[in-house]
Amino acid sequence: MATTIAEPAAIPRQHSSPRTGIGRALRTLASRRLALTAHNPRQIAVPMVTPILFALVLAPALKDALGGLHSKIDYTAFVAVGTVGLLVPLATTFAGLSVIVDRDSGAQRELLAAPVPRGLLVAGNLLVVLGLCALQVVVVIAAAALRGADFHVRGAGVVWFVLAVVLFVVLMYGIAETLAARIHQQEEYIGATPVIAILPWFFAGALFPISALPGALTAFAKVLPLTHAMALMRYGLVDPRGTGLHDIWGMSNTTAEAWLSLAVVALFAAAFAIVAVRTFTRAAVR
Amino acid sequence: MTAAVSVQQLKKTYPGDVEAVKGIDFEVAPGEVFGLLGPNGAGKSTTIGMLTTTVLPTSGTAALAGYDVVAQPLLARSVSSVVFQEAVVDKGLTGRANLQLHADLWGVGGYRAAERIKELAGLLGIDEIVDRPAGSYSGGQRRRLEIARALISNPLVLFLDEPTVGLDPRIRHELLDVIARLRRREDMTIVLTTHYLEEAQRLCDRVAIVHCGEIVALDTPAALLARLGDQLLELRVAGDVSVALAALGAHGVAAGDAYVVGSTVTVPLHDASIVDALAAIDHAGLTASDISTRQPTLDDVYLRLTGVEGAAAA
Repeated sequence: MATTIAEPAAIPRQHSSPRTGIGRALRTLASRRLALTAHNPRQIAVPMVTPILFALVLAPALKDALGGLHSKIDYTAFVAVGTVGLLVPLATTFAGLSVIVDRDSGAQRELLAAPVPRGLLVAGNLLVVLGLCALQVVVVIAAAALRGADFHVRGAGVVWFVLAVVLFVVLMYGIAETLAARIHQQEEYIGATPVIAILPWFFAGALFPISALPGALTAFAKVLPLTHAMALMRYGLVDPRGTGLHDIWGMSNTTAEAWLSLAVVALFAAAFAIVAVRTFTRAAVR
Repeated sequence: MTAAVSVQQLKKTYPGDVEAVKGIDFEVAPGEVFGLLGPNGAGKSTTIGMLTTTVLPTSGTAALAGYDVVAQPLLARSVSSVVFQEAVVDKGLTGRANLQLHADLWGVGGYRAAERIKELAGLLGIDEIVDRPAGSYSGGQRRRLEIARALISNPLVLFLDEPTVGLDPRIRHELLDVIARLRRREDMTIVLTTHYLEEAQRLCDRVAIVHCGEIVALDTPAALLARLGDQLLELRVAGDVSVALAALGAHGVAAGDAYVVGSTVTVPLHDASIVDALAAIDHAGLTASDISTRQPTLDDVYLRLTGVEGAAAA
C-alpha cells in the first residue's frame, strides 16, 4: 500500500506549561505500565499459581495428614497468609523484569527524555505493582476461604494486614527495581529471582512457626523483614493473639509488638524504595 | 537572541579513559537545521545523549533555549524532543496510545493533544493505522510514528538521530521531504545526525563534521564544498598508492587536501587545469588504470576530513 506523507503546516507554538505536573506525570506513567501489564495476562496469573497450590492443595493435605499446628490457629489459613509471602516477591520480581524489557526494547529512552523527574518512573511502576499485588492477594485469600480456611476478619486486623502487605510490596519492588537497574541481562535477572523471591520464604515461617526452627535459624528468621510482615499479616487476619509476633519479640504487649514489626518492615521498605530510585536514576544516565 | 542550542567545551570521557567527545563548541540558531556528520564512533550519539540529558558531560556546558542540560534538565527536556536511532516505541500499545503518552508527559492538554494527534497522524500518513498496536507497524510506519510523536509537544529543538537508517529508499525520501518542510515552522530548530551525506547536503543549513570526538569542520555545505574547488581529479593507480600520492605532490598536482581511498587518489584541482594535471601524472611516471574528473560532493569533504591519507602527510 502506497502511503503519502503530507506537508506539515506551520503550527503556532503553544507552550502552555514548560513542565508536566508531578501528579499528571505519575498518573501517565502508571497508566502506561497498567496498559502494558494488561496486555500480558501471564504476568498477572503466573505468580499466583504456586501460592494458590500451596494454599489449596498442600496446606489442607498437611493439616489432614499431620494434624495442623496443634493450636487454635487454622493451619489452612496460616499457610494461606504464608503464601502471600511468596506471592508478593514473585509478582514484584516479575514486574522488575518489565523494567529490563523496557530498557532492552528502547521504550525507556523516550521516558528518560521526558520532562518529568526520573524517580517518577519507579513510582509509576510501583503504583501498578501495588494494585496488581492487591488483586492477587485478594484472589489467594478468597480461594483459601472457599477451600475452608478459617480467617478471623475484624476491622483493625484488616488494617494491620493491609499495612503489612503494602509495605512488603514496596520493599520487594524496591529490591526488584534495584536489581533490574543493576543487572543488564534478562537471563541474569531471572537467575537471581529464586534467591531474592523464594529463599527467604523458607526461613520466615511461611509453613510453620519460626519457633520450630533450630535456634540459629530462628535468630536469622527474626531479622528477615518477611518474617515480620507475615507475622503482622497473621496477626491481622488469622491469629489475633499474635503468636508469630510473640515468637519474634517475646513481649507481653501484642500491640506494641505489632507496631515494632510494622516499623521494621516500614524501615526496610523506605530504605529499598530510596535505593531503587537512586539506582535507577543513576543507571539512566551514563 | 538566545541560541536554540549552545555547546561550549563539551567533553565526555567514559570509564577506561575513553574520550568520546573531546571538548566541542557550536551554537545553533533558532530555526536552523544543523547536521552532525561523522562515521560510527565519532561521538555524534554521545553528543546527542548529553543534549538530551541521558549522558552526563564530563566537563563543559550545553544549553537548550538557554536551559542548562545539567543544572536544569527538566526545563531542557521540556523544550526538546528526540527521535532516536533505534526503534523506541511501546510495541504493546497502539500508535495513538504512544502519541498520547508523549502528549501527557510533555504537558500537552487533553483537547489540544487530541487535535495534534489527529493532525500529525494525517500529516505523517499513519492515520489509518494509528489505532493498531505499534508492534504491527513496518519499519517505515514506526519511524513516522516516532516523528509524529516527537512533534506532538511542538518542541523548540528537535533531535533526529540517524532518522532514516534502515528505511527503504521511497520512505526515506518521503521522510526527508517531511523534515525539509518542517523548516517552514520558523521557530523549530533541528539537530540531525546522519551517515548519509546527501541528507546533510539536502537538509542542513550548517554541518559539523565530527571525527574522533572533535569537530573537524563546521560550515554551510556550500562553503565546505568550496574548500575543494570546482573540480576533482580521480585516478586509480597500480602499486603503492602512497608513493603515487607523494609523486603527485612533488610535481605540484596534489596539495594537502588530496586524499586516498583504497587504490584511488582524489586530487582537488583548484586553479590547475586538467591538462597540467595529466602532464604531471605522465611526468611522474604513474600508471593509472582509470582517470576521471568530477565536481566535488560532501562525500569528498567528509572523506578528506575523517581519517584518510592526505598528500601533506604522505
